[in-house]
Amino acid sequence: MLAESIPGRLRPLTILQLGWRNLRRNRRRTWITATTVALAVLLVQVAVSLLIGIEQQSFDNLINYQTAHAKLYAEGYFANRDELPLDYTLTGLDELQATIRGVRGVAATTPRLSFSAQVSNGVDLYACIGVGIQVTGSDHDVFRIPQAVVDGEYLKSGEDGLLMGTGLAELFGVDTGDWVTVLTKTQAGAYEALDLPIVGLVGTGNPLIDRNSFLVPLEIAQYMLGLEGAATELAIRFSPTARDDETIAEITRAVQDLRQLDVKGWREMEEDFMALVRVKRTGQGVFLLIFIVLAVVGITNTILMASFERTREIGMMMAMGLRGSGIRELFLTEGALTGLLGGALGSLVAVAITAYFATVGLDLTAMYGDMDIGYPVKDTIYPAVNIAVLVASWLLTGVLAALASFYPAARASRHIPVEALRHV
Amino acid sequence: MTVARLIDVHKTYMVGRVRVPAVRGVTLDIEHGAFMSIAGPSGSGKTTILNLLGALDTPTSGTVQIGDGTTDGLSLKTLADFRNTHLGFVFQTFNLIPVLTVRENVDFPLQLQGIGNKRERNERVMKILQEVGLGDLVDRRPTELSGGQQQRVAVARALVKGPRLVLADEPTANLDSETAGEIMALMQMMNEKHGTTFIFSTHDPLVMERASRLVRLHDGRVASDEGGNGGRHAS
Repeated sequence: MLAESIPGRLRPLTILQLGWRNLRRNRRRTWITATTVALAVLLVQVAVSLLIGIEQQSFDNLINYQTAHAKLYAEGYFANRDELPLDYTLTGLDELQATIRGVRGVAATTPRLSFSAQVSNGVDLYACIGVGIQVTGSDHDVFRIPQAVVDGEYLKSGEDGLLMGTGLAELFGVDTGDWVTVLTKTQAGAYEALDLPIVGLVGTGNPLIDRNSFLVPLEIAQYMLGLEGAATELAIRFSPTARDDETIAEITRAVQDLRQLDVKGWREMEEDFMALVRVKRTGQGVFLLIFIVLAVVGITNTILMASFERTREIGMMMAMGLRGSGIRELFLTEGALTGLLGGALGSLVAVAITAYFATVGLDLTAMYGDMDIGYPVKDTIYPAVNIAVLVASWLLTGVLAALASFYPAARASRHIPVEALRHV
Repeated sequence: MTVARLIDVHKTYMVGRVRVPAVRGVTLDIEHGAFMSIAGPSGSGKTTILNLLGALDTPTSGTVQIGDGTTDGLSLKTLADFRNTHLGFVFQTFNLIPVLTVRENVDFPLQLQGIGNKRERNERVMKILQEVGLGDLVDRRPTELSGGQQQRVAVARALVKGPRLVLADEPTANLDSETAGEIMALMQMMNEKHGTTFIFSTHDPLVMERASRLVRLHDGRVASDEGGNGGRHAS
């Protein structure tokens, strides 16, 4: 066999150099193709940044207004939590809180008492969720309700009053200063009614709070339900540096000898929402991938044209001994470089746009009005730049562009040298 | 010593449904160091003979032997390796890579030979470029050179890897007579200095005069095969 030891290939650096210079042969065509890719990448990057921002804000919203980082329940409560039962309550709250606060990674704790209630404005009667919160001392250390008061003022300890979700108030046609009647059933089954003034309205962006809930001081809730000194849950906020899983495990260890208690992290509490997020991520990922694929298909045409124009050159290279695989590598490289060029351009503009909106925010009401977009977020969202996603999608564009170049590259590599050299 | 041999070679092309015989039973022995011209009118089979000797094409029948090997039954990949090892080409239209500099164009076949040492490659490239008189133009692109200079680069590119055989298909056809004379003188000088075997096709009598051997073709057959005054004496 002849010439077995001769590689017949170019060095990778030479292929890169040659590929890059070949892109500059027909600059206008290269720029048009790269710009198409850049636009697709720009759109995808901005969309991804928005989705990451919305997701992050959703998680923050859940933690700040609904779930905290974790909650401690009496055994049996969590499985029946949708019914807001009063049969599984926590007592000895001070001792329990002292224990939990001693756990590394825990920043604050607060008891809450959730219950089902009916609220009447004198004309209509609606079923909704009442939440007793510890006004003095701890609730605002765990939750961010005071920042969500959009009208009136926050609750005051020892004073009668309730905070109502903005959506619920709109449904009732009531406002700050109006009185409503709260009707509940005690644990023993007796009805209890109390007239309370609306001291303020809360708008959190979380439909569960805004459209279905009202908040009252813990002692009023305990009084109405006949559960003095009790709570249905102990909400826990972690310190910023704490790792969720480790801290939950620590808390579980700390309370296991005290009594039968369940510790639940916020992701576990919002299992359905997290599953929905995963499904949305997959769907959006597929959609965005298809978008990039459509954009890089233009590269197929560009490389096809380039290989056609350079048929004689291909013949000459093959005559000198470059194997078909070398020709294929060269055109794949040109395709990938076009994709990477477009991807880099698109990414740079996307970062600039995202950085701008990450500062000033994007007003969702201007885009969607009051429509529920499926995420618990407030009116203004802030896109987030994720460098790992940015780099990954840029590289993905390069890979897809190389794949899009495969057909013309393979076609060029199959030339018969003598025929290619005759090409006019 | 024979460097290449054609033994009763036939080559027939199909043009649509018509069989067109381009070479009809050519037998040639090419001695080492020859400076051989293949002449003949258009359609006489000059380019086909060069393509067969250059392993760019395979015969319909007969044998093409280069050195110790033949091109019979070799795959495209093996033929590529064969050309890479044994052959250098000079084309009528120069066929330089326009995006590479003179230095890089001449370096190209050395990379294909797998010579990884850049310093070694650079020394060989500079030496051959000095020999062809382009030592001062190494960083220019082909478009910045005259036709004669481009063909000098092509000659340097063909010779830099020290091939057994350099095949030149009408190397002076795109040049004026003065430049054509310069290119022929250059190839003749390289033939005499390095002993490299040159085979070139032409229909220019001034070029034929420089050959050490002149083979005339007519209708795909050897019409005459005679010695010439130019070039190095074959061994």
